[in-house]
Parts: sequence; C-alpha cells; structure tokens
Amino acid sequence: MTYELNVAHLYGDLMNTYGDVGNILALNYYAKQMDVKLNVHVVSLDEDFEADKYDLAFFGGGQDFEQVIVSKDIQTKKRALTAFIEDGGPVLAICGGFQLLGHYYVDAKGDKIPGIGALDHYTLSQDNHRFIGDIVIKNEETGETYHGFENHQGRTFLGKDERPLGNVIQGKGNNGEDGTEGAIYKNVYCSYFHGPILTRNGNLAKRLLVAALKRSYPDADLAKQEALPIAATF
Amino acid sequence: MTLRSTVAAFAGRSSYWFLHTFMKGGSSLPGKITTKIDPEILKHLGQNYDVIVITGTNGKTLTTALTVRVLKQKYSSILTNPTGSNMEQGIVTTFLRAPKVKGARPIAVLEVDEANVIKVTKYIKPKAFVFTNIFRDQMDRYGEIYTTYQKIIDGVALAPEATIIANGDAPIFHSKNLPNPIIYYGFKQQDETDMKAKPNTDGVLCPNCQHILHYRYLTYSNLGKYFCPNCGYKRPELKFAVTKVSDLTPTSSTFEVDGHPMKIEIGGLYNIYNALAAYAVGRFLGVTAEQIDAAFSEDKKVFGRQEVINLDGKQVTLILVKNPVGLNQVLDMIATDKKPFSFVGLLNANYADGIDTSWIWDGNFEKLAQLNIPAYITGGERYKDITFRLKVAGVPDDKHQVVPELKDVVEKIKTLPTEHVYVLATYTAVLQLRKLLADQGYIKEGMGA
Repeated sequence: MTYELNVAHLYGDLMNTYGDVGNILALNYYAKQMDVKLNVHVVSLDEDFEADKYDLAFFGGGQDFEQVIVSKDIQTKKRALTAFIEDGGPVLAICGGFQLLGHYYVDAKGDKIPGIGALDHYTLSQDNHRFIGDIVIKNEETGETYHGFENHQGRTFLGKDERPLGNVIQGKGNNGEDGTEGAIYKNVYCSYFHGPILTRNGNLAKRLLVAALKRSYPDADLAKQEALPIAATF
Repeated sequence: MTLRSTVAAFAGRSSYWFLHTFMKGGSSLPGKITTKIDPEILKHLGQNYDVIVITGTNGKTLTTALTVRVLKQKYSSILTNPTGSNMEQGIVTTFLRAPKVKGARPIAVLEVDEANVIKVTKYIKPKAFVFTNIFRDQMDRYGEIYTTYQKIIDGVALAPEATIIANGDAPIFHSKNLPNPIIYYGFKQQDETDMKAKPNTDGVLCPNCQHILHYRYLTYSNLGKYFCPNCGYKRPELKFAVTKVSDLTPTSSTFEVDGHPMKIEIGGLYNIYNALAAYAVGRFLGVTAEQIDAAFSEDKKVFGRQEVINLDGKQVTLILVKNPVGLNQVLDMIATDKKPFSFVGLLNANYADGIDTSWIWDGNFEKLAQLNIPAYITGGERYKDITFRLKVAGVPDDKHQVVPELKDVVEKIKTLPTEHVYVLATYTAVLQLRKLLADQGYIKEGMGA
C-alpha cells in the first residue's frame, strides 16, 4: 500500500451500538481500493487523544449509561479534539458521538449532559418518543443522496457555522422540525444515521478518506483515489 | 377459585379446545379470552404450582427445554410453555391447557419474555428465577441492556423470596443489591490472564466504579471471570461451574460440570451455558449430578433451534439468528465443523426480525471468510445489506451468489458443491423458507423442532 492512515476510534469499546463498527469496516474496505492501509486504534477512558498521531477519527453512538461516562472522560480530550477539528482533521461522528461534539444534550431522564462544544449544536430530548425508521436525505451542494436508519430520542439544533449533512427527503432528521439531518463543519461529518452510514453511502466514506489523504499527504497526486467509482450497496 | 375465575378458566379452556379441534392451533387467544373475563386469573391458575421462571436475552428456550428434561428425573408432572408463548397470554394458556394433577405439588418451568416477568410475578410468586444473559438485542424493539435488566428486576421485586439462579459470568447480574437469595453459575478455567473484552462488546463497564472491566478469562462476548482493576470489584463465587470443555462440534458438546462428565447433543459454547443453567436448577431442587447427566444423554434427539432438512440429498442445517451475540456464537459453532460446507445468509427486516439491519455489522463475518468455504449465497428481502456485509468481510465474489428470492435460493442450494449447507436466517426468513419447503413436501408445516 502506498498510503497509510491512522484512525482513532473514539471510545470504540463503549460507544459501539447499532453496528456502528461497520463504519470502520467500510472505511477499511474502501481504503484498500484506494491503496491506503488503515491502522485503527481505540482511544478510550483515561487515555489521551494525541491529535498529531491521527489522520481520521470516528466517534460512534452508545447506550445512555455509557454515554454519560464518556461525557465526563471526553472533557479531558476536549482541547486536543477541538484542535484536531479546527486544523481540518476529518471526523465522522454518529448519534451520541454527534451529540457529544456539540455543547450539550439532554438525556431521557431530563439531565443535561455536557459535550465538548467543538461544534456549535445542542440537543434536547423528547418525552417518551424516539425517531425510528428508514431515512433518506440529500446534500444540496454535492447532489449526493444518503440512505440510513435513524433511532434517536435527541432533537439536535445546528449552530450558525454548521451546515446539515443533508435535507430530509424521508424520515425525521435532526429534530423533526427544520428538515435538516446531521452536520458538516470543516472536515467533520455528523449524522444520526445507522445502517451503518458508510456501509450504505460509500461516497461519504470516500469523501472522508480523500480529506484525510489530502491533509496528511499534501503533495500526493490523488487523482486515482478521487476517481474511485462507488457501487451502490443499498 | 372464585366464580369469576372458574368462568374465565372455563371460557379459556373451551376456546383452546375449539382452536385445536377445528382450527390450526392458537396459543395466545385462550389466554386473551380468560384474562379479559378475569384479569387476575394467573393467580388462581398458578397458585398450586412451584414455578421456575427462565428469562434473559438468549437461551431461554433451550434452557427451559433442558430444565424440563432434568426435572423429569424427579417430578412426574411438569408444566412448561411452548416456544413463542412466553408472554402473559401464552403463559395463561399454558396453565389452562394443563391436565389436573393429583397428589404432589406440580412444578411449572416457564420461559418468560424479559418485559413480561412483572406480569407474571404480579400474580405468581415463583420458587426461582433463572437469568441466562442480557445482550444487545434488536434495539428498535428492546432498547438498552440496562433497561432490559431493570424490567426483569422490577418483576423480581414482587417476589423477594424467590431464589435467583444467575449466570455469574455476566457482570450485569452482579450489579444490583437484591434481597433475594442468589446462586451463581459460570465457567471455571485453569488458565488465567489479564485481558479486556473485544472492543465491540456491550456491557464492559464496572457496575461499581464505571471503569473498563478486565477478565482473567473470557468465554464469549462479555462473559467470563471479570474483575475491576480500579476498585477490585469481581465476579461472585460460583456455586455450580463448568470445569472443563473437552470437545465442541456443531452437533454436540462434551464438558464437565463440577467434575462430572456431561454431553449434550447440540453444538455451541452458548448451549453449554444453557445446560449449566438447567443443571443449577436441577441441583437446587435436589436432582443429583448423575441424574442430570442421565437426563442430558438419554434423549439423543436433536432439539433447539437447529433443524436439519434433507433437500434432494443436501443436508441443510437451518439456524435462526436474531442478534449479534447469538449470531457470533453460531459462526463460532459452524467454524468447528470438520466437514466442508456451503453458507447461506438470509436477511429480512420485518418487525419480528428487527427493522434495523445494522446489527449484522456487529456479527463477525470476517471469521467466516477465513474458513475457506467453497460457496456462499445471500438472499432475503434485505439481500443487499447481507451481500455487502459478506463482501466487506472478505468473501470473494467468484464464490458468492446473490439470490434475492427464497424460492430461487431453494433451487440454488440443490446445486451447491458441498453436501452440507448451513442456512442462517432471521425470524421471518425462517418462516418463509419453511413454508416454501413445506409446500414442496420437504418438511411438515409449523415452526419445527
């Protein structure tokens, strides 16, 4: 393999519900086709996130109990994660990971759980209700359509520097009100999508990998990688 | 019985008789009719029984079947519910259907859905509960493992004197202080080390201090001899233990419990846990280890959720898969097969299957790709999802046929290069496939073994 990328799987041992690990498997699948070797490291409780060491980060969703534990620990990684994000480090954050990158979320019991505020969104709860079902969104800038499955109690509202990952065509999206789903900020992609998202939307996997390659190999000719055809899987 | 209960029970029994005589079965309707007339009917029906409630995510059905088999060594009459009748109505029907017992107090061994434990304990005070395990299940229906356990505990709270017989290797069963007497069962291995569970495992936080648990050894998923390096929390003492695993094949397991050699005619490490649970219940009720060994070995009939169907000479083993831990145990089990076999994966996403197919990504199909399997078929209503899952796992395209329609799958199976074929399918895919095979005369109607 010509290239090598180090992936931080944030709290991969705690934030791993709904098959989210499939995102890592899909990244690896497309990386191989792009002549890239992926080295995946789980970065968990009581460990530092060394921003310089990683080319890409993935942060999945978790159960309520685990998420509260993670919300406390992640404050110790706040500075490094924020620096990584501000420097254009590519990140994929799903569900609970999405929520924890924002200012806070309100959990099912009504407790307000702090995030790291690296992104400008916040998440409220809804009483005894979840958004559950198939979802389809379209990103108006790229024209790409994404398919997934949503299952979340949180209602997330984006900040002014964030764009949605897409506009809802079918399903509920971030909050069931404003027609947005997910968030994009610099090279950070957030979503509520399970499925998992990268297994059904290979073009997004490619986008993340290309962003990571461009940042870590600024002088490389990535024409071949950018031209990789992505076959439909869903 | 009160007049109301008598009327209710009569109405329920009559409808059961009617359904079975003139219709094709019907296991919950009599219960529905009866509870409609007398909501407290379970109290009257159950009060004359010693009741054992078996609950948990995986293994309820087999543990129940094995427990019945073990207790037959001591009790002449045992009431139990058929698989799929593990909610309130099905349990009422089970009691309604029971023949009148004279003499000794009869025993009932009931498989109960996690959320229905409280519906049973509201009226019946069981003698014992058996907790098999709590794993990530179809999350669009069940929610998180802690929520599931809380539902069970809410039910147990109404029966504080019942003995809990719990899987001691599962940290979650040692996470709450309960007034009940508790007996733990688990695995005792000689070789000890210091390790963590695989990253993609649920329920690895210390219930006491919320640090990541370590293990002296792991059996599967998050089960094993756990301890917390931070606060010293650890697995409780085991009263009954598997002390040796001698041989694992896809169709049998040979092992020792407390030094007694045992054999069950069903594969899978997870089924040894089920046998161990049955052993623990037996010992708790005074059945000897020798009697339990006899109970396990006297009936050689294959039972449980593996069914072998002869399809024009192909030996097709049909296995229901419904959640990641169960799926991984099945993959581990078929990996022990020494004969060559082909693999068929059928995925549906109807309500009974779980409408979110994400869980297949928690399944370790990568293991499958390393087994040198000569032919794969993927199909079912969500064939695209399972097809891509196998592709990502490393299954080569030239050995992999995508066959969406089940009727075509049946024909393709007949052309596979091996005599032996494993079909792993989700619930409604199993039903559809069995219906097809029944229509073609390969099997009888119904849900099977």
